[in-house]
Amino acid sequence: MIVLRNIWFSYVDENYVLKNINIEFSRGITVVLGPNGSGKTTLLKIASCLYKPIRGEVLIDDINYWNLNEEEKIRFRRKIVYVHEKPILLRGSVLDNIIYGLIIRGYSRDEAIKKAHKISKELNITSILSRRTETLSIGERRLVTLARALVLDTDYLLLDDPIAHLHPSTRELVVDIVRSMKDEKVIAIATHDPLSTLKIASKVIILDSGRIVNISEPRNIIDKYILEY
Amino acid sequence: MYTEIYGIALRSLLISSTATLLALVWSIPFTAKLISIRHRSKDIIIGIFNTLIGLPTVLVGLVLYLLFSYSGPLGFLELLYTPYTIIIGESILITPLVISLLYEVFSRAYNEYWELALTLGADKLQAYKLIIREVISDIFVVSLISFSRAIGELGVALIVGGNIKGYTRVFTTAIALEIEKGEFETAIILGLLLFIVVLSVILTARIIKRRV
Repeated sequence: MIVLRNIWFSYVDENYVLKNINIEFSRGITVVLGPNGSGKTTLLKIASCLYKPIRGEVLIDDINYWNLNEEEKIRFRRKIVYVHEKPILLRGSVLDNIIYGLIIRGYSRDEAIKKAHKISKELNITSILSRRTETLSIGERRLVTLARALVLDTDYLLLDDPIAHLHPSTRELVVDIVRSMKDEKVIAIATHDPLSTLKIASKVIILDSGRIVNISEPRNIIDKYILEY
Repeated sequence: MYTEIYGIALRSLLISSTATLLALVWSIPFTAKLISIRHRSKDIIIGIFNTLIGLPTVLVGLVLYLLFSYSGPLGFLELLYTPYTIIIGESILITPLVISLLYEVFSRAYNEYWELALTLGADKLQAYKLIIREVISDIFVVSLISFSRAIGELGVALIVGGNIKGYTRVFTTAIALEIEKGEFETAIILGLLLFIVVLSVILTARIIKRRV
């Protein structure tokens, strides 16, 4: 479980973008909704321990992450994977990208390639494994970033707008894959598109101007949210 | 005449490439550290380096002369009028340019790849390695641009090198001397050679930039 307790955050010399956030990301899928600039991305980056809050605690499995030493921090961070909204890929082939996280975890290249092939098959991207990343379309890039994250099989999966720019059929495929993991993993999805994700959500958080304005079960929120946004 | 010109060309290339390498040796870790600072002082520091790009070469030459002259604080090293002082001078001269260019390259890479590496489970060393791997061709372009600035400078080479025939004479000092002597033919040949070297370097940089 990831627990954010009394979190305040601001970028250098700016106003607070997150104000007194208290959330628990538990097993299942938490969907974070909110307008642009509401703090969704920052919230996920704090939860994935990429940003240190100005105030407050980030508890991973009941351990305060920011009190750990460097070695322990890496061990904890390897339980979490965050997928950026912008699909950032490394130079080289799609396969090189997918195996990067495994290689730095000490997997042999053969083992890593085997795992990469398995996840590529699930995401239907085996045909592009040998392609160089600069030749990919935006939708393909997004699928590769997802494959690169999913192959790590982490306990925590934080996805920032994972279905943006995807073809509707691919969108369904991604939603199905995420849904299939909801019983084993803690998953958080920030999105502008509630229609595809609310149906698989276990919990919905609505952010506005850096504050949580609602935490609820999806069925309590779906009509209200769709009407408003 | 051609043997001497060949010697000057080779010496110029050697001195300026060594100076460029030296500048990269301290500029890469410095810039890598600078971009990781999350404080306003970073902008002030990079602003200073941006300003220092236009530092007059004769000023660098003068300061180095005072330092390395026999009565200066580093005079005991007996480096004045050797190729080593030209290398030191040129590396100092191009350092602001190297840092300013690297800063642009590293900032972009840091914003994109640092977080990415961490979230994929990299430790800090692995994250730095990833950034270097992603920007290696950009670093090569930066070094080519800096090299062309080093090889084309006159002030440092003349003041601390002394333009000694067969020892510290480089393209720019040789051109200056030949003009002074009225040997315009040799000056033009040297000038053309220098132009070809700089042009090739810039073109190579452009090709690399376009391909990556």
